[in-house]
Amino acid sequence: MPINPLTLKKIRRFSSIKRGFYSFLILSSMILISFFAEILVSNRAIVVNFNGKFYFPTYGQIITGKTFGLDYEYETNYRELAREFKQGKGGNWVLLPPVPYNPYENDLRDNEYPPFPPSLKDRHYLGTDTVGRDILSRLVYGFRIAILFSLGLLAANYTIGISIGCAMGFVGGKFDLFFQRIIEIWSNVPFLYVVIIISSIVVPSFMMLILIMAFFEWIGMTWIMRTMTYKEKAREYVLAARAMGASDFRIIFRHIIPNAVSVIVTFAPFSVSGGIVALTSLDYLGFGLPPPTPSWGELLQQGWANMDAYWIVGSVIFAMTLTLITVTFIGEAVREAFDPRFHTTYE
Amino acid sequence: MAVYFFRRFLLIIPTFLGITIMVFVITRFVPGGPIERMIAQAQQMQSMPGGTGPMSAQDGRNQPLSEEQIEELKKYYGFDKPVMASYGLWLGKVLSGDLGVSTRYYDPVWEMIRERIPISLYFGFISMVMVYGVCIPLGIAKAVKHKTHFDNLSSIIVFIGYAIPGWVVGVLLLVLFASHWEVFPLGGMISDNFDSLGLFGKIKDLVRHTVLPVIAYVAGSFTVMTFLMKNTLMDNLSSDYVRTAMAKGLPFRKAVFRHALRNSLIPIATNFGHNISIILTGSFLIEKVFNINGMGLLGYESIVERDYPVVMGILVISSILLLIGNILSDICVAVVDPRVRFE
Repeated sequence: MPINPLTLKKIRRFSSIKRGFYSFLILSSMILISFFAEILVSNRAIVVNFNGKFYFPTYGQIITGKTFGLDYEYETNYRELAREFKQGKGGNWVLLPPVPYNPYENDLRDNEYPPFPPSLKDRHYLGTDTVGRDILSRLVYGFRIAILFSLGLLAANYTIGISIGCAMGFVGGKFDLFFQRIIEIWSNVPFLYVVIIISSIVVPSFMMLILIMAFFEWIGMTWIMRTMTYKEKAREYVLAARAMGASDFRIIFRHIIPNAVSVIVTFAPFSVSGGIVALTSLDYLGFGLPPPTPSWGELLQQGWANMDAYWIVGSVIFAMTLTLITVTFIGEAVREAFDPRFHTTYE
Repeated sequence: MAVYFFRRFLLIIPTFLGITIMVFVITRFVPGGPIERMIAQAQQMQSMPGGTGPMSAQDGRNQPLSEEQIEELKKYYGFDKPVMASYGLWLGKVLSGDLGVSTRYYDPVWEMIRERIPISLYFGFISMVMVYGVCIPLGIAKAVKHKTHFDNLSSIIVFIGYAIPGWVVGVLLLVLFASHWEVFPLGGMISDNFDSLGLFGKIKDLVRHTVLPVIAYVAGSFTVMTFLMKNTLMDNLSSDYVRTAMAKGLPFRKAVFRHALRNSLIPIATNFGHNISIILTGSFLIEKVFNINGMGLLGYESIVERDYPVVMGILVISSILLLIGNILSDICVAVVDPRVRFE
């Protein structure tokens, strides 16, 4: 598929903006890593060599302790297996992930109460939370959930927003006025209220929460799209297309939407960061995804309640800052790349 | 133009009705309202003595209140009439200035709100002054020094403030300055021994409690303002009339302050009207983090506790403020920019 030279120019301009470009590299590698988080952060070993046979427990069915000559039928505890293999002879070995904890398991000890501070020896690189779950592990899985959530939310919002906004701008008149009032009412209904109500009836699942949020956040995109359509509709090329006999359908989908996309794209990174913040805020208040889902908001809540455990707040705020700043810098660079103006400066 | 604004003010009415009807209807169909809570409380009271829990569960319907009692409760809370009828009653009361009584604390809603307004107003006003006081000069400096080290460095700092939500900044500030270094208090409005302090001590105490929340408030709205100022000023600097002024030999300083700056303040002015609702209602997340008993926290708690009269009362006030704020913004635009004509 040939790339439009204008698009090519925009991509070139984007990569020439160093801050945004490096942020883009950092964020995409973070997302990529989080998709394969099971290999790096998990209580399942990457490779087990037992009696000359190789096992790869990371993905797929659980492997019971019996398989490795242990005396239990439930899933193998690979950390203990590794310790045992090290002591015994026979050339068996276990390769554990760098962070050998999964986000749901409580690492409890005798005579000590969590949260435990960071320690290299226990491989809790960022310590544990108040019930003994590894923070790094929860951060990584929480990141994956947050980024998928905000991408899903973005897709939902933009689909609704573009269709309704475009219709409002294109049809205009009474239809526009009617939806304007609806939007005004909608934007005043306390969002939190409805979320709390729904979560008191059912436990919100991932998809459900996206739907609830989209139910309230389609407004922003609709408004932008409406203005864009109004503007584009009045331009000469639409008039020309109409004079040549193009149908409304063709004008909307071949002319107006492709032209509006260049504006919409510049909003996308900010929508992503908005989605992450929204999910974190809801989780912080306890109305987001149900526990024990790994979540940054829940960690923040723990850190807020246990300020002496500085490692909880410290790590989650660091992770959040890094993510949100890279997203914001990308957004800034995209906006600049799509902006045809070059500013004048005076000496 | 007067006609236009008159029409805008009239349009507040249907929107206001729409908002309140929608939320009112929601409150009616949600489990966990005051009557359910009463029943639950009565259940607890019953099962308390003797621990006869399992026995009453065997009765099948574990209903501590009689039908008549429930009917009476429904009547008391106005749940016995159809939705629209009780909405009409509620609206009539609101129009006569009565917001009802909290179902949780049995205080008049208006009293509860009136107590909280000064607190939110205090933080809102200080942060607004701070935002405008810092953002306008900073925006000007950044526009004039575009693409210099100063601009890049301050951009990074400002963007960090933009990326992290205010309440997260608040949590961080609390951990650092209140818990770790113990420079500032852990939240709240005043210390416990506030009354025993002298006037000077009182002021000092209040200031100490104010610093962190205000930083959290300012952090969020800071960026938008600064960049709005910077970008509009840069647009104006590259426009023809400034170029002409420069070409005629006007010093750069004069070109900026006499010509470009005045036009660049227009978008800033348009944002001004929205402040009214932010100042009064505050941010419930920041208020929750810092334990400030403002309007935001009141609204949040009333939602969580299903205190419907308070929810509706706050909704009435905040939606009216928001709608008026929108119109005020438009009036600001018309006042600042004589070219703008609303028809």
